[in-house]
Amino acid sequence: MMNKKEILKLAKGFRGRAKNCIRIARERVEKALQYSYRDRRTKKRDMRSLWIQRVSAGTRQHNVHYGHFMHGLKKENIQLNRKVLSEISMHEPFSFKALVDISREAFPGNRHIYHRPRKVDMSSMDA
Amino acid sequence: MASTSYTLFSLCSSFNAHCKISPTPSVSKPLAFTKPNFSSSFNLPQKLCFSSSPSLPQSATVPKVSQIDAPAVAESEPESPPAATQIVEVAKEEAPKREEIFAVVMVGGRQYIVIPGRFLYVQRLKGTNVNDKIALNKVLLVGTKTTTYIGKPVVTNAVVHAVVEEQGLNKKVIVFKYKKKKNYRRNIGHRQPNTRIRITGITGFENYPAVTLDSIAKSS
Repeated sequence: MMNKKEILKLAKGFRGRAKNCIRIARERVEKALQYSYRDRRTKKRDMRSLWIQRVSAGTRQHNVHYGHFMHGLKKENIQLNRKVLSEISMHEPFSFKALVDISREAFPGNRHIYHRPRKVDMSSMDA
Repeated sequence: MASTSYTLFSLCSSFNAHCKISPTPSVSKPLAFTKPNFSSSFNLPQKLCFSSSPSLPQSATVPKVSQIDAPAVAESEPESPPAATQIVEVAKEEAPKREEIFAVVMVGGRQYIVIPGRFLYVQRLKGTNVNDKIALNKVLLVGTKTTTYIGKPVVTNAVVHAVVEEQGLNKKVIVFKYKKKKNYRRNIGHRQPNTRIRITGITGFENYPAVTLDSIAKSS
Protein backbone atom coordinates (compact mmCIF):
# COMPACT_ATOMS: atom_id res chain seq x y z
CA MET A 1 0.00 0.00 0.00
CA MET A 2 2.73 2.39 -0.87
CA ASN A 3 1.60 4.47 -3.77
CA LYS A 4 -1.56 5.45 -5.50
CA LYS A 5 -1.37 2.80 -8.15
CA GLU A 6 -1.19 0.00 -5.66
CA ILE A 7 -4.04 1.35 -3.61
CA LEU A 8 -6.28 1.70 -6.63
CA LYS A 9 -5.38 -1.82 -7.62
CA LEU A 10 -6.52 -3.07 -4.24
CA ALA A 11 -9.67 -1.00 -4.54
CA LYS A 12 -11.03 -2.87 -7.52
CA GLY A 13 -14.68 -3.70 -7.18
CA PHE A 14 -15.39 -1.14 -4.52
CA ARG A 15 -18.53 0.87 -4.62
CA GLY A 16 -18.85 4.32 -6.05
CA ARG A 17 -15.94 6.70 -5.93
CA ALA A 18 -13.98 4.41 -3.64
CA LYS A 19 -12.63 2.60 -6.63
CA ASN A 20 -11.60 5.68 -8.56
CA CYS A 21 -10.65 8.55 -6.33
CA ILE A 22 -7.55 8.12 -4.29
CA ARG A 23 -8.66 9.99 -1.19
CA ILE A 24 -11.73 7.87 -0.72
CA ALA A 25 -10.07 4.73 -1.95
CA ARG A 26 -7.28 5.01 0.56
CA GLU A 27 -9.71 5.00 3.45
CA ARG A 28 -11.71 2.11 2.09
CA VAL A 29 -8.64 0.07 1.31
CA GLU A 30 -7.28 0.58 4.79
CA LYS A 31 -10.58 -0.63 6.18
CA ALA A 32 -10.58 -3.58 3.84
CA LEU A 33 -7.10 -4.60 4.91
CA GLN A 34 -8.05 -4.33 8.56
CA TYR A 35 -11.03 -6.56 7.94
CA SER A 36 -8.92 -9.09 6.12
CA TYR A 37 -6.46 -9.17 9.03
CA ARG A 38 -9.29 -9.77 11.47
CA ASP A 39 -11.06 -12.24 9.26
CA ARG A 40 -8.05 -14.41 8.64
CA ARG A 41 -8.45 -15.26 12.27
CA THR A 42 -12.21 -15.59 12.29
CA LYS A 43 -12.09 -17.75 9.18
CA LYS A 44 -10.46 -20.47 11.19
CA ARG A 45 -13.23 -20.29 13.76
CA ASP A 46 -15.94 -20.24 11.12
CA MET A 47 -14.57 -23.21 9.29
CA ARG A 48 -14.31 -25.24 12.45
CA SER A 49 -17.88 -24.40 13.32
CA LEU A 50 -18.94 -25.46 9.84
CA TRP A 51 -17.14 -28.76 10.15
CA ILE A 52 -18.76 -29.40 13.49
CA GLN A 53 -22.18 -28.74 12.03
CA ARG A 54 -21.50 -31.17 9.24
CA VAL A 55 -20.20 -33.89 11.50
CA SER A 56 -23.16 -33.39 13.78
CA ALA A 57 -25.56 -33.73 10.88
CA GLY A 58 -23.81 -36.88 9.81
CA THR A 59 -23.89 -38.50 13.21
CA ARG A 60 -27.50 -37.63 13.83
CA GLN A 61 -28.39 -39.65 10.79
CA HIS A 62 -27.12 -42.55 12.84
CA ASN A 63 -28.86 -41.41 16.02
CA VAL A 64 -25.76 -40.18 17.78
CA HIS A 65 -25.08 -36.71 19.10
CA TYR A 66 -21.97 -34.87 18.02
CA GLY A 67 -20.70 -34.51 21.56
CA HIS A 68 -21.07 -38.20 22.31
CA PHE A 69 -19.47 -39.07 19.00
CA MET A 70 -16.38 -36.99 19.64
CA HIS A 71 -16.13 -38.31 23.18
CA GLY A 72 -16.19 -41.85 21.88
CA LEU A 73 -13.50 -41.06 19.32
CA LYS A 74 -11.23 -39.49 21.86
CA LYS A 75 -11.65 -42.48 24.12
CA GLU A 76 -10.58 -44.73 21.31
CA ASN A 77 -7.63 -42.47 20.59
CA ILE A 78 -8.71 -41.75 17.05
CA GLN A 79 -7.13 -38.46 16.16
CA LEU A 80 -8.92 -37.45 13.03
CA ASN A 81 -9.65 -33.77 13.07
CA ARG A 82 -12.97 -32.16 12.35
CA LYS A 83 -12.09 -31.07 8.88
CA VAL A 84 -11.37 -34.58 7.76
CA LEU A 85 -14.33 -35.97 9.68
CA SER A 86 -16.66 -33.58 7.93
CA GLU A 87 -15.32 -34.60 4.53
CA ILE A 88 -15.60 -38.27 5.37
CA SER A 89 -19.15 -37.78 6.58
CA MET A 90 -20.02 -36.26 3.24
CA HIS A 91 -18.22 -38.48 0.80
CA GLU A 92 -17.49 -41.76 2.54
CA PRO A 93 -20.71 -42.80 4.20
CA PHE A 94 -19.57 -46.29 5.03
CA SER A 95 -16.31 -45.23 6.60
CA PHE A 96 -18.24 -42.70 8.59
CA LYS A 97 -20.69 -45.31 9.74
CA ALA A 98 -17.76 -47.41 10.90
CA LEU A 99 -16.48 -44.47 12.92
CA VAL A 100 -19.91 -43.90 14.43
CA ASP A 101 -20.11 -47.54 15.43
CA ILE A 102 -16.71 -47.42 17.09
CA SER A 103 -17.72 -44.34 18.99
CA ARG A 104 -21.01 -45.86 19.99
CA GLU A 105 -19.30 -48.83 21.56
CA ALA A 106 -16.72 -46.72 23.30
CA PHE A 107 -19.19 -44.47 24.98
CA PRO A 108 -22.05 -46.19 26.79
CA GLY A 109 -24.17 -43.04 26.75
CA ASN A 110 -24.74 -43.64 23.08
CA ARG A 111 -27.13 -46.46 23.71
CA HIS A 112 -29.94 -43.95 24.00
CA ILE A 113 -31.53 -43.42 20.63
CA TYR A 114 -32.13 -39.80 19.76
CA HIS A 115 -35.59 -39.01 18.44
CA ARG A 116 -35.92 -36.07 16.13
CA PRO A 117 -38.83 -33.85 17.18
CA ARG A 118 -41.60 -34.62 14.71
CA LYS A 119 -43.51 -31.84 13.01
CA VAL A 120 -47.08 -31.77 14.25
CA ASP A 121 -49.80 -31.18 11.72
CA MET A 122 -51.61 -28.11 13.03
CA SER A 123 -54.42 -28.19 10.53
CA SER A 124 -56.18 -30.96 12.42
CA MET A 125 -56.36 -28.92 15.60
CA ASP A 126 -59.41 -26.89 16.53
CA ALA A 127 -59.26 -23.16 15.92
CA MET B 1 -27.15 -42.06 3.66
CA ALA B 2 -25.46 -39.50 1.50
CA SER B 3 -26.05 -40.21 -2.11
CA THR B 4 -22.75 -39.00 -3.33
CA SER B 5 -21.75 -42.29 -4.84
CA TYR B 6 -21.64 -40.86 -8.31
CA THR B 7 -19.32 -37.95 -7.81
CA LEU B 8 -16.31 -40.14 -8.13
CA PHE B 9 -13.58 -37.85 -9.31
CA SER B 10 -15.41 -34.59 -9.73
CA LEU B 11 -13.35 -31.47 -9.67
CA CYS B 12 -12.99 -30.22 -6.17
CA SER B 13 -13.25 -26.66 -5.15
CA SER B 14 -12.14 -27.47 -1.67
CA PHE B 15 -8.46 -27.86 -2.32
CA ASN B 16 -8.91 -24.67 -4.29
CA ALA B 17 -6.41 -24.07 -6.95
CA HIS B 18 -4.00 -26.34 -5.23
CA CYS B 19 -5.30 -29.78 -5.83
CA LYS B 20 -6.50 -30.29 -9.38
CA ILE B 21 -7.33 -33.51 -11.09
CA SER B 22 -4.19 -34.39 -12.87
CA PRO B 23 -4.02 -37.11 -15.47
CA THR B 24 -2.37 -39.94 -13.65
CA PRO B 25 0.89 -41.20 -15.02
CA SER B 26 0.37 -44.92 -15.15
CA VAL B 27 2.08 -45.96 -11.92
CA SER B 28 4.98 -43.79 -10.91
CA LYS B 29 7.90 -44.29 -13.21
CA PRO B 30 10.85 -45.75 -11.31
CA LEU B 31 13.60 -43.22 -11.00
CA ALA B 32 17.04 -44.13 -12.17
CA PHE B 33 18.31 -43.45 -8.71
CA THR B 34 16.30 -42.66 -5.63
CA LYS B 35 17.28 -40.11 -3.12
CA PRO B 36 17.09 -41.24 0.50
CA ASN B 37 13.60 -41.43 1.92
CA PHE B 38 12.66 -38.82 4.38
CA SER B 39 9.83 -39.55 6.74
CA SER B 40 8.63 -36.06 6.89
CA SER B 41 5.46 -36.37 8.76
CA PHE B 42 6.31 -36.38 12.44
CA ASN B 43 6.24 -32.66 12.71
CA LEU B 44 6.37 -31.55 16.24
CA PRO B 45 5.40 -27.92 16.31
CA GLN B 46 8.07 -25.80 14.66
CA LYS B 47 10.48 -28.67 14.46
CA LEU B 48 10.96 -31.37 11.90
CA CYS B 49 12.29 -34.67 13.15
CA PHE B 50 13.36 -37.32 10.72
CA SER B 51 12.70 -40.26 12.92
CA SER B 52 11.30 -43.38 11.40
CA SER B 53 9.85 -44.86 14.56
CA PRO B 54 6.24 -43.91 14.97
CA SER B 55 5.58 -41.84 18.04
CA LEU B 56 2.17 -40.90 19.28
CA PRO B 57 1.49 -37.39 18.11
CA GLN B 58 -0.23 -34.74 20.12
CA SER B 59 -3.78 -34.15 19.12
CA ALA B 60 -3.94 -32.26 15.90
CA THR B 61 -4.22 -28.52 16.23
CA VAL B 62 -6.85 -26.72 14.27
CA PRO B 63 -5.34 -26.77 10.82
CA LYS B 64 -4.55 -23.65 8.88
CA VAL B 65 -7.45 -23.19 6.54
CA SER B 66 -5.63 -21.37 3.83
CA GLN B 67 -6.30 -24.22 1.51
CA ILE B 68 -9.93 -24.86 2.14
CA ASP B 69 -12.25 -22.00 1.31
CA ALA B 70 -15.47 -23.05 -0.31
CA PRO B 71 -17.79 -25.18 1.77
CA ALA B 72 -18.54 -27.34 -1.21
CA VAL B 73 -16.22 -30.28 -1.03
CA ALA B 74 -15.98 -33.14 -3.45
CA GLU B 75 -12.78 -35.04 -3.78
CA SER B 76 -11.99 -38.57 -2.77
CA GLU B 77 -14.09 -41.41 -4.08
CA PRO B 78 -16.83 -42.80 -1.87
CA GLU B 79 -17.14 -46.37 -0.76
CA SER B 80 -20.09 -47.36 -2.87
CA PRO B 81 -21.91 -50.61 -2.31
CA PRO B 82 -21.19 -53.20 -4.99
CA ALA B 83 -24.52 -52.51 -6.67
CA ALA B 84 -23.57 -48.96 -7.54
CA THR B 85 -20.13 -49.71 -8.90
CA GLN B 86 -21.56 -50.35 -12.35
CA ILE B 87 -22.97 -46.86 -12.59
CA VAL B 88 -19.81 -45.42 -11.14
CA GLU B 89 -17.63 -47.20 -13.68
CA VAL B 90 -19.68 -45.92 -16.59
CA ALA B 91 -19.61 -42.39 -15.30
CA LYS B 92 -15.89 -42.14 -15.19
CA GLU B 93 -14.64 -44.36 -17.95
CA GLU B 94 -13.14 -41.43 -19.76
CA ALA B 95 -10.83 -40.66 -16.81
CA PRO B 96 -7.56 -42.58 -16.58
CA LYS B 97 -7.50 -45.62 -14.35
CA ARG B 98 -6.68 -44.70 -10.80
CA GLU B 99 -6.19 -46.83 -7.73
CA GLU B 100 -9.35 -46.55 -5.70
CA ILE B 101 -8.02 -45.93 -2.30
CA PHE B 102 -7.71 -42.94 -0.07
CA ALA B 103 -5.89 -42.14 3.10
CA VAL B 104 -5.93 -39.48 5.75
CA VAL B 105 -2.38 -38.39 6.38
CA MET B 106 -0.95 -35.87 8.76
CA VAL B 107 1.70 -33.55 7.36
CA GLY B 108 2.98 -30.33 8.75
CA GLY B 109 0.56 -30.43 11.64
CA ARG B 110 -2.42 -30.64 9.33
CA GLN B 111 -4.47 -33.55 8.10
CA TYR B 112 -5.26 -34.16 4.48
CA ILE B 113 -7.27 -36.68 2.57
CA VAL B 114 -5.00 -37.97 -0.17
CA ILE B 115 -5.54 -40.21 -3.13
CA PRO B 116 -2.80 -41.43 -5.41
CA GLY B 117 -2.10 -39.37 -8.46
CA ARG B 118 -3.08 -36.01 -7.07
CA PHE B 119 -0.91 -33.31 -5.71
CA LEU B 120 -1.11 -31.40 -2.54
CA TYR B 121 0.35 -28.24 -1.05
CA VAL B 122 1.78 -28.75 2.42
CA GLN B 123 3.95 -26.73 4.72
CA ARG B 124 7.52 -26.42 3.54
CA LEU B 125 9.43 -29.63 4.17
CA LYS B 126 12.90 -28.60 5.18
CA GLY B 127 15.80 -30.57 3.89
CA THR B 128 14.06 -32.02 0.86
CA ASN B 129 14.80 -31.21 -2.72
CA VAL B 130 12.78 -31.43 -5.87
CA ASN B 131 12.13 -34.99 -7.06
CA ASP B 132 12.79 -36.50 -3.67
CA LYS B 133 10.75 -39.47 -2.68
CA ILE B 134 8.96 -38.96 0.55
CA ALA B 135 7.37 -41.49 2.86
CA LEU B 136 4.64 -40.14 5.07
CA ASN B 137 4.18 -42.25 8.13
CA LYS B 138 1.36 -40.68 10.01
CA VAL B 139 -1.52 -42.34 8.27
CA LEU B 140 -4.65 -41.98 10.31
CA LEU B 141 -7.15 -43.78 8.15
CA VAL B 142 -7.04 -45.78 4.96
CA GLY B 143 -10.10 -46.55 2.91
CA THR B 144 -10.60 -48.74 -0.08
CA LYS B 145 -13.71 -49.66 -1.97
CA THR B 146 -14.74 -52.32 0.50
CA THR B 147 -12.82 -51.83 3.71
CA THR B 148 -11.75 -49.09 6.03
CA TYR B 149 -8.71 -49.20 8.25
CA ILE B 150 -9.22 -46.83 11.11
CA GLY B 151 -6.05 -46.02 12.95
CA LYS B 152 -5.85 -45.59 16.70
CA PRO B 153 -4.33 -43.17 16.22
CA VAL B 154 -2.16 -44.39 13.37
CA VAL B 155 -2.53 -47.30 11.00
CA THR B 156 0.63 -49.21 11.83
CA ASN B 157 3.09 -49.76 9.01
CA ALA B 158 0.99 -47.81 6.58
CA VAL B 159 3.01 -45.50 4.42
CA VAL B 160 1.98 -42.94 1.87
CA HIS B 161 4.59 -42.47 -0.80
CA ALA B 162 4.95 -39.11 -2.42
CA VAL B 163 7.32 -37.18 -4.59
CA VAL B 164 8.30 -33.59 -3.99
CA GLU B 165 7.41 -31.59 -7.05
CA GLU B 166 8.21 -28.06 -6.25
CA GLN B 167 8.96 -25.83 -3.31
CA GLY B 168 7.47 -22.42 -3.59
CA LEU B 169 5.62 -19.75 -1.74
CA ASN B 170 1.98 -19.18 -1.09
CA LYS B 171 0.16 -16.19 -2.45
CA LYS B 172 1.08 -12.99 -0.73
CA VAL B 173 -1.09 -11.80 2.11
CA ILE B 174 -0.86 -8.22 3.20
CA VAL B 175 -0.70 -7.91 6.95
CA PHE B 176 -1.93 -4.43 7.65
CA LYS B 177 -2.11 -3.19 11.20
CA TYR B 178 -3.85 0.04 11.95
CA LYS B 179 -4.94 1.88 15.06
CA LYS B 180 -7.29 4.75 14.55
CA LYS B 181 -6.44 8.25 15.73
CA LYS B 182 -3.04 7.09 16.91
CA ASN B 183 -1.17 7.43 13.69
CA TYR B 184 -0.14 3.80 13.75
CA ARG B 185 0.10 1.91 10.49
CA ARG B 186 2.17 -1.11 9.68
CA ASN B 187 2.17 -2.70 6.29
CA ILE B 188 3.83 -6.12 5.95
CA GLY B 189 3.66 -8.60 3.14
CA HIS B 190 3.92 -12.28 3.87
CA ARG B 191 4.40 -15.34 1.73
CA GLN B 192 4.33 -18.62 3.51
CA PRO B 193 6.68 -21.22 2.04
CA ASN B 194 5.04 -24.38 0.87
CA THR B 195 5.91 -27.60 -0.86
CA ARG B 196 3.93 -29.32 -3.53
CA ILE B 197 4.01 -33.07 -3.31
CA ARG B 198 2.43 -35.60 -5.58
CA ILE B 199 1.06 -38.75 -4.03
CA THR B 200 2.23 -41.88 -5.73
CA GLY B 201 0.92 -44.67 -3.60
CA ILE B 202 -0.46 -45.94 -0.34
CA THR B 203 0.92 -49.17 1.06
CA GLY B 204 1.38 -51.21 4.15
CA PHE B 205 -2.07 -51.21 5.64
CA GLU B 206 -3.12 -54.75 4.76
CA ASN B 207 -2.38 -56.37 8.08
CA TYR B 208 -4.27 -53.92 10.17
CA PRO B 209 -7.65 -54.82 11.66
CA ALA B 210 -10.16 -53.53 9.17
CA VAL B 211 -13.80 -52.71 9.05
CA THR B 212 -15.40 -54.23 6.02
CA LEU B 213 -18.51 -53.32 4.17
CA ASP B 214 -20.35 -56.47 5.21
CA SER B 215 -19.77 -55.91 8.88
CA ILE B 216 -21.14 -52.40 8.59
CA ALA B 217 -24.17 -53.61 6.72
CA LYS B 218 -24.79 -56.22 9.39
CA SER B 219 -24.53 -53.77 12.22
CA SER B 220 -26.94 -51.23 10.74
